[in-house]
Amino acid sequence: MKDGKFLTLGIETSCDETAASVVADGRFMMSNIISSQIDIHTAYGGVVPEIASRKHLECINDVIERALKEADVSVKDIDLIGVTYGPGLVGALLIGVAAAKAMAYAADIPLIGVNHMHGHIAANYLEHHELEPPFMALVVSGGHTEIVNVPSYNSCEKLGGTRDDAAGEAFDKVARVIGLGYPGGPKIDKAAKEGNPEAIAFKRVYLEPGSLDFSFSGLKTQALNYLNSEKQAGREINVNDVAASFQEAVVEVIADKAVDAAVRYDQKRIVMAGGVASNSRLRALISAKASARGIDVLKPSPVLCTDNGAMIASAAYYAYKSGERTDYELDAVPGLEF
Amino acid sequence: MKILAIETTGKYGSAAVIDEEGRIWSAESREEMNHLRGIISLIDEALGSAGITKNDLTHIAASIGPGSFTGIRIGVTTARTMAQMLGVPCIAVSSIEALAEGSLSAAISANALYVVPIINARRHQTYGAIYEAEFTSDYEHQALNLISEEKQYMIEELLEKLGGNESYFTGDGIDAYKDIIESALPEGTYKFAGEDMRYQSAESVAVIALKKAKIGDTLTYDKLMPEYMRLAEAEQRLRAGTLSDRIKNPKV
Repeated sequence: MKDGKFLTLGIETSCDETAASVVADGRFMMSNIISSQIDIHTAYGGVVPEIASRKHLECINDVIERALKEADVSVKDIDLIGVTYGPGLVGALLIGVAAAKAMAYAADIPLIGVNHMHGHIAANYLEHHELEPPFMALVVSGGHTEIVNVPSYNSCEKLGGTRDDAAGEAFDKVARVIGLGYPGGPKIDKAAKEGNPEAIAFKRVYLEPGSLDFSFSGLKTQALNYLNSEKQAGREINVNDVAASFQEAVVEVIADKAVDAAVRYDQKRIVMAGGVASNSRLRALISAKASARGIDVLKPSPVLCTDNGAMIASAAYYAYKSGERTDYELDAVPGLEF
Repeated sequence: MKILAIETTGKYGSAAVIDEEGRIWSAESREEMNHLRGIISLIDEALGSAGITKNDLTHIAASIGPGSFTGIRIGVTTARTMAQMLGVPCIAVSSIEALAEGSLSAAISANALYVVPIINARRHQTYGAIYEAEFTSDYEHQALNLISEEKQYMIEELLEKLGGNESYFTGDGIDAYKDIIESALPEGTYKFAGEDMRYQSAESVAVIALKKAKIGDTLTYDKLMPEYMRLAEAEQRLRAGTLSDRIKNPKV
């Protein structure tokens, strides 16, 4: 406690960001330190798990130290430690979990293991201080494309998800093939702004009627086939047009299904979360489609869309307040379900 | 002086407390590769047996490898973070040296000249070293004298360096290379540590840590680093220029 505020330290190491943050009363960010490894992994065309794990170890203690310092608090002021224990890369997750457990044990601070995906949703509590459940959540990231009904702080009901590739994965793959490189999402977003979204007729995959699931692998294959046939015909590829058309095919389906889910469950708000939630076209399209149905769309700012410790702290805070406790046996669970 | 030693680089995790007189209290996991789940309770058990609390600790020592990459990281991260929180220094201990330390008395009893710790690094490779076992005639003083440096060897290359001298092997490299050793070395020139002594243990880490603490060979928590003895595979390929074409040349 400091100045009457309950302080949570959130730790996140599930992929390629080493992050820690101090959050007051589950809502107010006092610090948000993110040490990104993107530059290191760019040389390999994607995240290399062993290298990510090594880098997390080198950074984690300094990141925690900086999170405390920037919040101007000491370890003694911390009331709770929240840490991501899955889903993610196992070697990366275990650095955060080992550090969080050692800290909890050494400094006698309660511990909460947090599902990374619940953390992404909780990022919205930091951005929109009045937001309370219930609402519909759309979680889109490198590994996830999910529509989740959130009836209360500590429950998440997954209504649909991807059957093959996640949206971010599809972006990465196509970005690599058209030479934009890694990370694909932001690069496609940028290139698409200069391109024509109707230049190439990529299919919209809605699956069976009423389904809230997604499938992007067929679309990805269609894009690869298109690029191949253009190449064989000796035609030059307009990278911006491919990016814009491909992006449009992905985000249109996501936006339609998210709005459909909100309507069916009578939710007046759609809350966006995850790295791909910062895609500018997805943001614009979903806002337009939702407002036509009288639904509000809330989005975290881009810094809260990427992996960060603050969202983990917020999710941990609400779990703790509901009476949840995590013991020292906490393990990393790479395939943790929603 | 109360030193906590953590060992998670091998099959079984363990923790030990050693005091200035060299008295040791320890706890060992019975489950294989249960390092992350078990580490805090092992530490708590070792502290409990020693009758102290974490606030009595003066140093945190960790076996920094080589060994399981994942295991190394769990132990080193735990040690770093505990030291950071408790405000005490760290001590880095080589898993190879700790293995040799754990087998020194047994090697001397077996009349071996050399102690040879070998950790399985797969495909005929081993992390290892060769030590000479030094002792006085009354056995009061025993010490390890490094003959061949700690590094990654081909097992055949390491065996050649023994020059036919009587050698006492320890470490999980025995499980992998027993047949190779038996066929390469003259009969009667080698012995293997028993299965109860063969694997990394926090007690040996603690013994070396105490020696280091006494001469001030300590580190601040941020300087405690793993000794993997090997680059990540992708990094090896990047340096060798053999990363797949798809990554180097994304348009292919």
